[in-house]
This record gives sequence, C-alpha cells and structure tokens, in this order.
Amino acid sequence: MESVNKELESFSYSVSHDLRAPIRAINGYTKILKEDYADTFDTDGVKILQSIISNSKKMGELIDDLLAFSKLGRKQVTVSEIQMTDLVKMVTEEFVFEDDENIPEFEMGILPNAKGDKSLIKQVWINLISNAIKYSRNKRQTKVEIGAYTKDNLIVYYVKDYGAGFDMQYYDKLFGVFQRLHSQEEFEGTGIGLAIVQKIVQRHNGTVWAESKVDEGSCFYFSLLA
Amino acid sequence: MSYHNVEILFVEDSTDDAALTIRALKKSGFTNKLHHVINGAEALDFIYCRGAYADRSDKEFPKLILLDLKMPKVSGLQVLEKLKADPNLKSIPIVMLTSSNEGPDIEKCFALGANSYIVKPVDSDNFFNAVKEIGLYWMVLSQPAH
Repeated sequence: MESVNKELESFSYSVSHDLRAPIRAINGYTKILKEDYADTFDTDGVKILQSIISNSKKMGELIDDLLAFSKLGRKQVTVSEIQMTDLVKMVTEEFVFEDDENIPEFEMGILPNAKGDKSLIKQVWINLISNAIKYSRNKRQTKVEIGAYTKDNLIVYYVKDYGAGFDMQYYDKLFGVFQRLHSQEEFEGTGIGLAIVQKIVQRHNGTVWAESKVDEGSCFYFSLLA
Repeated sequence: MSYHNVEILFVEDSTDDAALTIRALKKSGFTNKLHHVINGAEALDFIYCRGAYADRSDKEFPKLILLDLKMPKVSGLQVLEKLKADPNLKSIPIVMLTSSNEGPDIEKCFALGANSYIVKPVDSDNFFNAVKEIGLYWMVLSQPAH
C-alpha cells in the first residue's frame, strides 16, 4: 500500500508538472488570437476563443489542485498541542468578504485543544468554513455554527451551516477528488476542498463525516485525538 | 545576427514559452535587446564566448538572465551554479523560471544565489503580468551592483 501510494504521488506530481506547459501555451496563443486577430473572427468566433481561454484556465486550476492534493500525501505531519479556539478565531478573521456578499454570523462554542499538525488542521478549518460560507450565500441572515464535543478519547469538531445542503443519496461521492454535488453555475469550485479535508484528517488517524438536508444546511464533523 | 549589447539573456527550451514571454516583454514596452538561447549549454557558450559565440566580446555581460529550470543537457540549476560561482559574473541578476512550484527546487535555487524564482502561470494574463513585472523590476528599478 505504501509503495503504491508513493508511485501514485510521484505520478500525479509529474503529470501536474508536465501538463501545465501545454495548457499554458493553449491559453496564451488563444489570448493572442483574441487580442491581435479580433477582426478576423465574427462574434461567434470570439465567443469560442473565450471558451478556450476559460477552459484552459480551469484546467490549470484543476492541475494546481491535484498538485496540492498529491503534496499532502508526502508532507510530514508534525504533531503538537493545538490551541483550537485561537486557531479557529484566526481562520474566521482571515476571511475576506466582498461588499455585496452575504456574510453569515459565526457562532463559536468552546473548542478543546487537540494534538495535530497546526498548519494542516488550519487548512481543514479553512476548507470547512469557506464551504459553509459559500453554500450559505443564497440565505439571508444566516449563521455558521462551530463547536466541539468529546467522545471517549476523541474530540469531535463540527462546522454547521443552514445553506444549500446536499442530497445524502450522493454521500459516497462527497469526499472524492474533483467530485461535486452542485453545478459550476450554482456554486463554483473544482471539488478538491473536501478531499483535502479527508486526507488531512486521515493522516491524523481521525475520521470525517457529514450530514445534510437539501436546502436546510449541512454539518461536517471531524475527530482528532485529545 | 549581432550579439552586440545584449541586455537580457533568455534561456528557454520550450518554443511556446519563449514566444509568449518575448511577446509579453515587447507588449509591455521593453525595447531592451534580448537574446534567446534554447538550452543551458548554449547559455554558457554565450556567456563565456565559446562555440557559436566565439566572436562575441567577452567584455559585455547581459544585465539580466531569465533562466528556465528544466532543460535538456545542461539544466538551469547547473547554469545557475556555474554563474553564481564565478566572481566576474555573480552580480548579474538571474531570475529562475519554472513550470511548477513543486519539489526542492526553490530552496536549491536560492541557496545557489538565484535572485528571483517565478512559477509560470497557466493563465496568460497572469503570465503577462509576471513577465512584465520581472522586466520592470530588474531592468528599470533595480540598481546594478557596481
């Protein structure tokens, strides 16, 4: 298993690295066509050029995400005691909102400390909370609840929103790489966020799970050793 | 072709990246004379006035070197190491260009004395801005060492 993982990681690394170059060329040359040869194309032609540009850009993002994901598997996990309340406060304060954005209220309970890699666990919080914000954006005056409870020798943390939710029927796809339960038009994204969350939590020997109801909201849980 | 007064030496094996970079520099108004070589071996020949560049004056050094990291034969890392170890050449700013921010390369480059390290973005607007900023910073704003 270990060696299979290693091979997969080095494979995704070289794929990511070598795929970027031709996509860069496609994006760049199409931009040249659009800028310097605009007169040669009619409206439909320009639209098509724009589609090539945005699709190649999208592919670049997917590759970068894949790279970030494969990097996770190789990163050393440095365990220390994490001051969880401070960490999550920092994360919630770092979010930047647009003026016209629907900003949810954060309700934070007491978060006990846990053992883990601070920078990785920070990434888990960033991904879960930014998802909660993203999927809440069509709800007026909504909130995101962040809390924790202990169970045996584990601490379970959760992020709960009252946003769009998802259909539990597709739960098995939720944490898959590049799997999405919403269309790009509804909610943008590449589908890497929860895969990263799962990978990080698993590397801490913890578990991640979720419950949701369409249009009522979702709650994401992850456990760490106390 | 004249190798007189070359201000930017651009070392890049990918024809496409080279074309896009040169266009971006031209579009942002850089008229500085640029010479493009396609691998590390040719870059060293140019700098040391050897081979095809035997008749180039060895008194003239470029003001800036844009150096791709991954190239066949002599890699960007090897060129960087060689130039930064040469007391006559080490003050020439070298900007490393690479396709990915992955791997131990970044640290290695800075340890060897690279002045900057740029990941070539996929999005051509970002690519254009990155190239423009490199040009602006190193050719206009930064003061030479002597």
